[in-house]
Amino acid sequence: MSLYKNCLILLAINIFSPVSGDGVNGTAPDTTDKRTQSPSLSPPVVAAAELNSANIKPDLDSLFPLSLLSSFPEDPEVSDYCSELLHIFGQRYVACVSCLVPAARPVKVCQNCYSSYGSLANIYRNISGTLGPANVSCKDNLLRSDRLMLVNLLYINLEDVWSKSNCKQCITKEFQSLTNDTLYFMAMLNQTRTCFEKYPQGNHSEQCKNCNSSYKGLNELYSRMEKNQSLCIDIEDAQNLIQKIQWTNFNCTVAREETVPIIAVSSFMLFLPIIFYLSSFLHSEQKKRKLIHPKRAKSYSSLTNIQDKLN
Amino acid sequence: MANITKKVSWSSRPDESGSAGDATPLLNGSEQPRYSRQNSAGGNMFHIGRLSTVDLEEEITSEEDSLRGRPKEIPHNEKLLSLKFESLDYDNIENQLFLEEERRMSPMNFRCLEISRWVVCGLIGFLTGLIACSIDIIVEKLAGYKYQAVKENIEKFTEGGGLSVSLILWAVLNSSFVMVGSITVAFFEPIAAGSGIPQIKCYLNGVKIPRVVRLKTLMVKVFGVICSVVGGLAVGKEGPMIHSGAVVAAGVSQGRSTSLKRDFKMFEYFRRDTEKRDFVSAGAAAGVSAAFGAPVGGVLFSLEEGASFWNQMLTWRIFFASMISTFTLNFVLSVYHKTPGQLSSPGLINFGRFDSDTMAYDLYEVPLFIIMGAIGGVLGALFNILNYWLTIFRIRYVHRPCLQVMEAMLVAAVTATVSFTMIYFSNDCQPLDTDQTEEYPLQFFCADGEYNSMATAFFNTPERSVRSLFHNQAGTYNPLTLGLFTLTYFLLACWTYGLAVSAGVFIPSLLIGAAWGRLFGIMLATITPNNPVWADPGKYALIGAAAQLGGIVRMTLSLTVIMMEATGNVTYGFPIMLVLMTAKIVGDYFVEGLYDIHIKLQSVPFLHWEAPATSHWLTAREVMSSPVTCLNRIEKVGTIVDILSNTSTNHNGFPVVVQITGSDEPEKLCGLILRSQLIVLLKHKVFMELARSRLTRRKLQLKDFRDAYPRFPPIQSIHVSQDERECMMDLTEFMNPTPYTVPQDTSLPRVFKLFRALGLRHLVVVDDENGVVGLVTRKDLARYHMGKHGLEELQLAQT
Repeated sequence: MSLYKNCLILLAINIFSPVSGDGVNGTAPDTTDKRTQSPSLSPPVVAAAELNSANIKPDLDSLFPLSLLSSFPEDPEVSDYCSELLHIFGQRYVACVSCLVPAARPVKVCQNCYSSYGSLANIYRNISGTLGPANVSCKDNLLRSDRLMLVNLLYINLEDVWSKSNCKQCITKEFQSLTNDTLYFMAMLNQTRTCFEKYPQGNHSEQCKNCNSSYKGLNELYSRMEKNQSLCIDIEDAQNLIQKIQWTNFNCTVAREETVPIIAVSSFMLFLPIIFYLSSFLHSEQKKRKLIHPKRAKSYSSLTNIQDKLN
Repeated sequence: MANITKKVSWSSRPDESGSAGDATPLLNGSEQPRYSRQNSAGGNMFHIGRLSTVDLEEEITSEEDSLRGRPKEIPHNEKLLSLKFESLDYDNIENQLFLEEERRMSPMNFRCLEISRWVVCGLIGFLTGLIACSIDIIVEKLAGYKYQAVKENIEKFTEGGGLSVSLILWAVLNSSFVMVGSITVAFFEPIAAGSGIPQIKCYLNGVKIPRVVRLKTLMVKVFGVICSVVGGLAVGKEGPMIHSGAVVAAGVSQGRSTSLKRDFKMFEYFRRDTEKRDFVSAGAAAGVSAAFGAPVGGVLFSLEEGASFWNQMLTWRIFFASMISTFTLNFVLSVYHKTPGQLSSPGLINFGRFDSDTMAYDLYEVPLFIIMGAIGGVLGALFNILNYWLTIFRIRYVHRPCLQVMEAMLVAAVTATVSFTMIYFSNDCQPLDTDQTEEYPLQFFCADGEYNSMATAFFNTPERSVRSLFHNQAGTYNPLTLGLFTLTYFLLACWTYGLAVSAGVFIPSLLIGAAWGRLFGIMLATITPNNPVWADPGKYALIGAAAQLGGIVRMTLSLTVIMMEATGNVTYGFPIMLVLMTAKIVGDYFVEGLYDIHIKLQSVPFLHWEAPATSHWLTAREVMSSPVTCLNRIEKVGTIVDILSNTSTNHNGFPVVVQITGSDEPEKLCGLILRSQLIVLLKHKVFMELARSRLTRRKLQLKDFRDAYPRFPPIQSIHVSQDERECMMDLTEFMNPTPYTVPQDTSLPRVFKLFRALGLRHLVVVDDENGVVGLVTRKDLARYHMGKHGLEELQLAQT
């Protein structure tokens, strides 16, 4: 186990300093082992670094880790099949990330990247699935042979992104396409957008008046989808943007028109208790209590008023 | 007042025509003058024995016309003791019947008793938990419908105009819910009004509050609390839970219901005040524990409020009941929330988890907490003073049920109106959050995607508002919103408490405190702009809530633990304790706690822990009532009937005296017998002559006394013929042969201690020769209290 641990840690290190292929040979001296401890403390960072480098020089670096691995074919545990899977995983991961990053603002994560994420999820399922051809399982080998569990970690990151973005609600099962609801919403959204664009920045009142119907329709659709829980981040973000345009750029506020009737009604309401208390004070007879004189021993008479005595 | 009509109603009661016919001539007979101006010892216990079966209103009247002379009338105030209240019999009557029964019982029987005590406690916990969660679920559902309807209405009218219609809709919905609740309370069971904590406090203190632990009270209470919370009043459902738990306990432990006329023939041994009291304290604990998810807090609440009669086993049993109650609630709620079996969902009020990372506090914040405690004490005292004047006004002028219902409806309508107006004019808009705690966000005039932040505080059940004040991130509320909210809610809550609806004051206090606490936190953050992290407003909201609640109710130990358990955070124990201590000290400087004020205003003879200071110079001779109506050990039935039917001296305990025949020595005390016992004896006609003639007659057993408990029939319903009046009754077997006595020179604190610690009801004062000179009862002791100018004496009055 420790051997593979070392292997993978060094793998990460070697992205930065691809110097000695020998060091990986399994005969790594103890000193290297200690040296590697400090950078390996933050595996996500390393992973990210790896990703970046892979992104920048895809043709060279994406194959690099695999060539490292294949450099010791005598390793009995990483089968060809598994390394093939790993290779595909790497490629798809890169594709997925390179799709996600440009879709960050404005958020188009679900619309743009569902297919690349779908294929990534697919390959991960293959890796984590129990059986491959000839009864080879790559699960133990690739996913949990070491402390870092890099493949797992990488995948969990993206899975996290996916679940946070709630994309599941907008994509059909098996990552085929966007759902009809989503497509319809996008169409409505575009309609509203084009309406907004028709009017120049200065012409507020007209924009508010003319685009109101499509904006309203969009709002209603949104709240309906909210109720069905079929919202994903793309829709939420688009809706937020539109709302922002409507309310801040064009300043379409609802005026507070009914101040007078509200004040009238509420002061009437507030007036009622005053009448109630006054009338009950004046008309209701006051409840009186009858005092009872308890029977006491004779000597008590001298002490009837303790207060007087004390004062 | 209406003496004549009432007199008619009294004599026209059908069920007592026979006995009343017998008794009436005697009432006006030659012996009458002797009793005519004697109230006391028993005058104190004026209504005893009849209260349960005779309507209270008529009761008063019967006394009114029986009183001679013109008693002085004064407006109601807090310096009165009502004759209405009597003591509970916590002292075991060790008469011969009791000893016989004990002899008959095998050790096995005692073991069974012990087991059934545990079973009863388990049942109490279980039923209390069930009641708590049904209240919770119904309130949630109904309030959901209400808020949804109002919200839709508001959304419809925001743009098109007509918001005043929404306002009226809200007000009408509120007041109709409150009307239903208030009608049930005001017309069917007035004792179910309010939180019920003062009443339970009195019960555990040893005062018998009529009808406080009846099944009917429970039903009205549960129904009333649902109505008032759904009706949007500034109230909570936690206080009533404590009362409900106590009623459940009193009912379950008796194994029967007199209201339903069902006897399950179970737990007959527990049909005594002593046993019932223990179960009632368990029930109160179970109620607290269900309400706050705080089992330990529940036990400590019972301890704090009724601690005079405790032991270790009882504590352990009460804790058992509390735990069962919390976990029943958790289980049922988990089924309701569709995660069956998950037992970690907390009590009715869920403060949410306080994350100890973000909410850590530092040493330098402790002085700030203490300042907040002081503020809480001052505000609490202000609340109590305002509520005190309001309650006096209500007792004096708003005492008719229909007026009370109207008042409650008005409060509900005004609450809705004020909330609506505040929301309408608020400009505090906040963006909607993904993990929003706002169940019903109102947009009003905010931009789309934003909500009105005033509405989260007002347009919500109070519990949810408390939670959002505790947990929403910094910046969710702006200071103006919080300030206005605190002010209006303070006034509304103060106005609401004491209405004829069943509702508690815990949640409103927490809400007020949380609002100004959060405000305090925001202010701190603005004062120190360079380091705003440490003043997390949620933390200060919690401390403020504790301070405000402590300032109003002045509980210390149990409240600390309840707050700790409800927040699930032990590290806040220390600041909460400090805050509650400060709040109590500061508040006590001005005025007593809210519950104590209400106990006083109800003229309950409540015995505090200690006799008032500087009262050692008072002796039993001055305290006691004298002369005492005594019975002979072998007494004529006619005399007993006359004494019992004398309405002006409604004595409850009678010292039994014996005179050695043929000697000139004065009568000596040989026992004490209670009115309830005499009535049972009369009912079963345990007369010496009859016993001689009918040898096969079954001997009276303790069971016969238990069957009559707790509603002994009034003396008027017992028919005694002229022949029987001449018979004799031997009380030897039935009286308590060893009553507690004190010499005449015993000081008041000594008498007090004996009384309080043993839970006595009568204490006989004797002279050197064991002759009866007086009788001390609860009212004789409770009338002394420390006022502003030293020792004061309360006056007895009819209420």
